[in-house]
Amino acid sequence: MLSGFGRLYRGETRINFFGRRRVSFLASGIVLVVAVISLFSQGLKLGMDFKGGLAFEAPVSGTLTVDSAAKVIRDAGMTESDIKIQMLSSGDNKRVRIQMGVQTSDVQKKVQAALSEASKVTIDEISVSSVSSSWGRSITIQAIQALFVFLGVIALFIAWRFEWRMALSALAALIHDLGISVGVYSFLQLEVTPATVVAFLTIMGFSLYDTIVVFDKVHDNNARFSGSKVSYGDIVNISMNQVLMRSLNTSIAALLPVISILVLGAWVLGAVALEEFALALLIGLSAGTYSSIYIAAPLLGVLKERTTEFVSMRGHLSLGADMSHLMKTGTPIGRRAAARLADALEGAEPVSIPIEALLSHPPRPRKKTRR
Amino acid sequence: MNRRLIFTLVMTIVVTLSMFVANQASGNRPALGLDLQGGASVTLTPVGDFTDAALTVAVDIIRQRVDSIGVSEPEIIRQGNTVVVNLPGVKDQQRALELVGRTGSVELRPVINVAQNPESTSATPGVGGSTTTVAGSPTSVASSSTLASPTGGIGSTRRAAADTSTSVPSPSTVDPTTELAPGQTVLPGRKDGLIYLLGPVEATGEVFNSDSSAQIDAGNWVVVANLKKGAEGEAQWNALATKCFNGGAECPSKAIAIVLDDEVISAPTVQTPTFDNGSVQISGSFTKSEAEDLARVLQFGAVPVKFDAPTVQTVSASLGKDSLRAALISGGIGVLLVLLFLLLYYRLLALVVVAGLGLSGLLMWSIISWLSKTNGLALTISGAAGIIVSIGVTVDSYVVFFEKLKDDVQAGRTLRNSAARGFENAWKTILVANTVSLIGAVILWWLTVGAVRGFAFFLGLSTIIDIVISYLFTRPAVLLLARTRLFNRGRVLGVARKTTQEVAA
Repeated sequence: MLSGFGRLYRGETRINFFGRRRVSFLASGIVLVVAVISLFSQGLKLGMDFKGGLAFEAPVSGTLTVDSAAKVIRDAGMTESDIKIQMLSSGDNKRVRIQMGVQTSDVQKKVQAALSEASKVTIDEISVSSVSSSWGRSITIQAIQALFVFLGVIALFIAWRFEWRMALSALAALIHDLGISVGVYSFLQLEVTPATVVAFLTIMGFSLYDTIVVFDKVHDNNARFSGSKVSYGDIVNISMNQVLMRSLNTSIAALLPVISILVLGAWVLGAVALEEFALALLIGLSAGTYSSIYIAAPLLGVLKERTTEFVSMRGHLSLGADMSHLMKTGTPIGRRAAARLADALEGAEPVSIPIEALLSHPPRPRKKTRR
Repeated sequence: MNRRLIFTLVMTIVVTLSMFVANQASGNRPALGLDLQGGASVTLTPVGDFTDAALTVAVDIIRQRVDSIGVSEPEIIRQGNTVVVNLPGVKDQQRALELVGRTGSVELRPVINVAQNPESTSATPGVGGSTTTVAGSPTSVASSSTLASPTGGIGSTRRAAADTSTSVPSPSTVDPTTELAPGQTVLPGRKDGLIYLLGPVEATGEVFNSDSSAQIDAGNWVVVANLKKGAEGEAQWNALATKCFNGGAECPSKAIAIVLDDEVISAPTVQTPTFDNGSVQISGSFTKSEAEDLARVLQFGAVPVKFDAPTVQTVSASLGKDSLRAALISGGIGVLLVLLFLLLYYRLLALVVVAGLGLSGLLMWSIISWLSKTNGLALTISGAAGIIVSIGVTVDSYVVFFEKLKDDVQAGRTLRNSAARGFENAWKTILVANTVSLIGAVILWWLTVGAVRGFAFFLGLSTIIDIVISYLFTRPAVLLLARTRLFNRGRVLGVARKTTQEVAA
């Protein structure tokens, strides 16, 4: 008997994805509801690039560098990752500029004191001023408008290339992935920075790409089985089993660098700036692979099952050995298929099918032997 | 067939390598963004009276202007009462000042006279120097544009305006060096090689709403601007328009000059005395980009705050060197892990992936280096991470192909046959999925600014490279390898080819 991995490797899995769609719909539904509740109750924690904050500027007389200034700030008790430290220089005149989110006046004084000590100047020489957001409101509005145009055009393209039900399912999967990613950010109150926005967009692109690859397979199989009486659920199941190894491989290839950045870069080497970015990608990319197989394709099945072409076979699924047979030969087999055939033929005259019609090739004519 | 495949393969490798070498040799390197490398920090301090709201508007206008330059992700913030503009990788501080320092107030002045600019090197066809035509033929002056009010929605009004777009006065009669009346000035045209004698400033760009746009009317590019209501907009504009339409001593040329930073951007002739419906259409022989530039000037031109001379400082990277190092090390190890995984999974075939990814990397490096030099592109940490993620999508093209190939081999086809069939099938999938990515990238690039635009750029770039490498490298490489004896021996792909008996069983 083959092990699970062996079957996977040879493309011989026979998992009933479509039959268990309610489980995945329910699981995703719960996660999404939690995400929406969290989003409405506590919202997103926006970083200083969106909200603005404080800027400290101190003249540098000694050997203060960006890295040592970061240490000073951490020692003063600031734990946030959203701090931007830059060195400004024109000629010999050097200043260090530190930007952070809005702080209480206590924290402000503490940072000032720490900076004056580190750069060996009096506390009055360290200027504090408020900073506006660098990510202007107009940028956000523009981005959201672009997003809607993007979704519209993509939907039209998929509807044109495949069909509108696939467009609808792909968009649903996309919203599912973004919803989960944004939900995690809201739930854990992670800081949203411009890098996070880029991460969300990356997730969107990946989710869409992955769904299209999966749908392309469904589209192919739809054509392949168009001649035989097969339910759409079967087509979905077969396609998912065929595409499973590809999806696993691709997501491993996409996630390995992200995991490496998160574990090695952020945790071992201590580059905190990378942590949230990598985390957003990790969650979003996993959701993207999951949703293509467990959300988009079953949803397509549900929509497609009701069309006149497939409604008569609705609810019939070939499982296990039946699915194998279906995949190999392109025609259904087994008790259910026989019952379905009987249903279809009910009332009709039983037709005797000549043996030639069942064989794929007509029998070869007998050789003429010379007498 | 065989020879053509070898030719494609060799050409792809040669072209990629020579692009890389050429870029290296000419010293092009990818420029890094503000977070990784730092850049120039320009501080603008307002002078005179200003309100808090006006400063906010000014920040927005400056942001629009700086953002529309390219994909380099500049950072514009308001710090206290100053505006700070950080430009990545700009080593030339003079250029930083040029980009930001323009006060950008748009002035509208009546045109009194026009002449050929003696200092200009760009020869305008038909004007001066030419021996074949009458010198100073007014009909061939390229800069002439007309101004028409698209009233009443009657098409003929507009067409008439477009047809009579040639009424700049004869340049030969101008002597701009004669004494100027108070308020008058002489300014050069931006591109047309003319100089203009202008009357006093009668209005500013503030008369227009900031929704000017470039549009196509009757096959020509025009700029449509909308006037503000009341004394601030329509009244001022119409006073000037009426004056110029009548062509009195103050505006004998009947043209209004649109002036930005002491340059005449355009000098259209007025076609109607008043503009009753608040909409102004400027037509002329614009190209698309000229029309868009003019629209942009009218949109954001006037900044409501006057700034002192800007100061420039060098700004260091906001991410420490540690972060960059950590990102590079961990990203590199991640890519190595991916390659290791693929080697385990696809055995010898994974060598094609290694080579393909290598070529994609070189191609991307070359293009980014080249654009850094020419277009001021700058790579930020999120851009870099986006590229690392794009490896997943790139690898997917190989995975789709190889899985199909494996299926076919398992079903009993020869490797050679499977490779050809597998690619045909996979190519269809790769193409449709990448098209979706590309559509997304183009829309986002087109409609957004800043970080989102940067993201769209790298998405589009990696998608195009994926398509190119798939067809021009992966296909010939695998098809050729599938013919070698080495690949047809045993379980190279990790699956054995079934014999005919096994398939039947």
